[in-house]
Amino acid sequence: MSKPILETRDLAKNFGALAVTDNVNFALAPGARHAIIGPNGAGKTTLINLLTGALSPSSGSVYLAGGDITGMAEYQRVKNGIARTFQINTLFMGLSVIENLYLAISERMGVATSLVRPAGKDSAVMEEAVRILNILKLEEDSLTEIHELPYGRQRLVEIAIALALDPKVLLLDEPAAGVPTTESHIILDAVDSLPKDIAVLIIEHDMDVVFRFAERITVLVRGAILAEGSPDDIAANEEVQAVYLGEGSHD
Amino acid sequence: MSSFLNEISTVLVFGLAYAMLLFIISVGLSITMGLMGFANLAHGSFAMAGGYVTVTLVSQMNVPFAVALLIAFIVVAFLSIPFERFLYRHLYRRPELDQVLLTIGLVFVSIAGVTFIWGPDPHLILMPEYLQGSINLGFNIFPKYRIFMIVAGAVIVAGLFYGLERTSIGAKIRAAVDNRRMAESCGINTGRIFTWTFALGSGMAALGGGLGIQILGGIKPVFAFEYLVIFLIVVAVGGLGNIRGTFFAALILGIIDFAGKFYFPEGGAFVIFAVTILVLLIRPQGLFGKA
Amino acid sequence: MTAITGADTAATAEAVKFLQTRHRFHWAEVLPWVIAIAVFYLLPGYRLLATQILVMILFALSLDLIVGYAGIISLGHTAFFGTGAYITALLAANNIPDPLIGLVAAAIGAAVLGFLSGWVLLRTAGLTLLVLTMAVTIMLGELANDFDEITGGFDGINFTNSEIFGLIEIDQLWYTSSYIYVLVVLFLSFLLIRTIVHAPFGRMLIGIRENTKRMSAIGTPVHQRQVLVYVISAAIAGIAGALWVQVQGNVTTGVYAFELSGDVLIMIILGGTGRLYGAFIGATVFKILESLTEQILGTNQPYWQLTIGIVLILTVLFARRGLYGIFEDIGEKWKDRSQ
Repeated sequence: MSKPILETRDLAKNFGALAVTDNVNFALAPGARHAIIGPNGAGKTTLINLLTGALSPSSGSVYLAGGDITGMAEYQRVKNGIARTFQINTLFMGLSVIENLYLAISERMGVATSLVRPAGKDSAVMEEAVRILNILKLEEDSLTEIHELPYGRQRLVEIAIALALDPKVLLLDEPAAGVPTTESHIILDAVDSLPKDIAVLIIEHDMDVVFRFAERITVLVRGAILAEGSPDDIAANEEVQAVYLGEGSHD
Repeated sequence: MSSFLNEISTVLVFGLAYAMLLFIISVGLSITMGLMGFANLAHGSFAMAGGYVTVTLVSQMNVPFAVALLIAFIVVAFLSIPFERFLYRHLYRRPELDQVLLTIGLVFVSIAGVTFIWGPDPHLILMPEYLQGSINLGFNIFPKYRIFMIVAGAVIVAGLFYGLERTSIGAKIRAAVDNRRMAESCGINTGRIFTWTFALGSGMAALGGGLGIQILGGIKPVFAFEYLVIFLIVVAVGGLGNIRGTFFAALILGIIDFAGKFYFPEGGAFVIFAVTILVLLIRPQGLFGKA
Repeated sequence: MTAITGADTAATAEAVKFLQTRHRFHWAEVLPWVIAIAVFYLLPGYRLLATQILVMILFALSLDLIVGYAGIISLGHTAFFGTGAYITALLAANNIPDPLIGLVAAAIGAAVLGFLSGWVLLRTAGLTLLVLTMAVTIMLGELANDFDEITGGFDGINFTNSEIFGLIEIDQLWYTSSYIYVLVVLFLSFLLIRTIVHAPFGRMLIGIRENTKRMSAIGTPVHQRQVLVYVISAAIAGIAGALWVQVQGNVTTGVYAFELSGDVLIMIILGGTGRLYGAFIGATVFKILESLTEQILGTNQPYWQLTIGIVLILTVLFARRGLYGIFEDIGEKWKDRSQ
């Protein structure tokens, strides 16, 4: 494996006596398609929050392209190339799709504090917004406010915003959660067609999605890594099977 | 040395009496904010209503003070129910700003209302004989009413904690404050809990309004605004929805406020605000609030 | 209008055009200024009230920047209004009577206070922030009363302004040049605010209002930006406070009144938040309603509190977007019918 783009060393997070993340040593290769699976309460979202800086770890460290970013604030990590989507839509509900993208892009391009020039006059930002709209086929909804969109379309905007940040690492927290199965293929197609140079880490419950998408899988149980390997390895791993069968199922 | 003891005991007794009053009034506000997530700036209006009910009963109908307090508690508790049912409930999920503005509107209306009925001047009542005059405790002389306020406050606090810790309705309220969704999934009707808790909190405020007439120099229409800030400060410092926290916050702030005014008669009023700012900057969630 | 590559579908082209032209002036935006000038000539007896309204519009605009745009709830905006007022008055009373220097000093002083208080206060949110903004304002009011040898206490300090540019005297009796002076300052400040809210900075503020969590996740240092807008807002509120006392030639500790914080918040709610002209409508309606109630029903009973209380409750329950929102709705209906 080449030098990892994102890496954790002995990463741990405790809420009181409860270890939600337990000495996780994890590496994400550049351009990887990597999935994290695990039963409910395994600490998957907590791990994402530790990677993005939304939470700070109790101990251990996080590295981006070899540099220690453990003490770096969330917004700085974004500027350094880590983008995420949320398990539950976290969007600007009262703004249109294009404005949602506009905010992300103007921040990335460093013009968000410009006080004088009218917002729409910055062609570079506008062109980038339109480019992202086209990639995710959101053109028809450009001016629709988020709260008027069906949930599935909102999920696409989550991905669109992350993409608008031009990330090196993209963390997808259950991108198809809450979307009816009949529509989830649209989201999964979008995930499939993400640019190859972005390292993608996906948290997912649906095993079909995981095995279709991931080249590498990490299994997280009670905050600790239980197993890691190729999809075939994981499918054959008896411990993993025991966890999944023993705990009933994934939902 | 004896003058030192004298000063300290004065500050403690007067401060403690004020602190008890602050707790009795603020606890309902704390629960409303912690349990319902509702910023009820009209809480002071319910306390004010209690004060006016007490004044009217005692001075116009010759009802004994203690009985008047009890009636004020019951009347205001019941009066508050329609407010919760028909007005506040619609705004539980609305932004804080809406809640703040609606309840500021209620404060204005309540101030106008009591001024129409009772006029703009402060109303005082003649206390029953057993609460008049002073009591000599050997090292210092204290007004009987302050001592009564402390004792009454302690009884009410004890009763409240007993009710919350030992009764089933108390357990339900605590469960709902801690984790509303969990409580609902256990089959607790949180809507009804909200209503009864709100009524209880408003009743307590009314009780405080009646008890405070003597200590705060009479009841007057601006009460609803003047003391609201203090109640909010107590709630914020104690941590929203944290009853124990509200108690300790009232204790600390009540005594500090009195000490500030006692030692710096010129500018002591700002001491309590400075302390509040300091505390909330170090612990934004309040002294005892959940992070 | 610049063509944007890739905007090939009708929908994207329309979206791009909308964003590119949104900041343009609508003909109706001339109305407030026409009305303000008309009042000056047609209703000279109401110039005092009109001057107060103009100042309150500016104060309300400053509050709308943080409440309506950035979503920061404050019940303590008089801290900046009062500080601006006192700085100006104290300068004038101490041999620096130039009104323009007074305005600039007020803006800077209020901005400094905004920076210091904002940096620490804005780490909190919700009720805590509300309590802290109130506490700071009340504390400043208490201090102003305590140091009454400097502030003049309830009686206040009287002062005179020098002429603007050494030419125009601010008359404190007939509100002729002073009305124009306030109107010009309001107009220039408004242009500045309007530019800011249509610039990327203004859009960014709306993002913070809509979702701070998402803003952090797109790389926005939310706290820094909140402090920045707080400082800008404080400076403008300071200018409003300066104007308020300059036209009267007197300042009292009343400029720190906590009630004024509530009043100005009510103004923008009445008018409609986050839409600039809401401040114009709200401040005007509030002051006219106040003066009408007092003239017709008198001040011996609290009719004014009753009126404003009821209006406020009705606004929150039934017209959350304020009077401006109602006008927008009527405008939409009218457009539909004429098409």
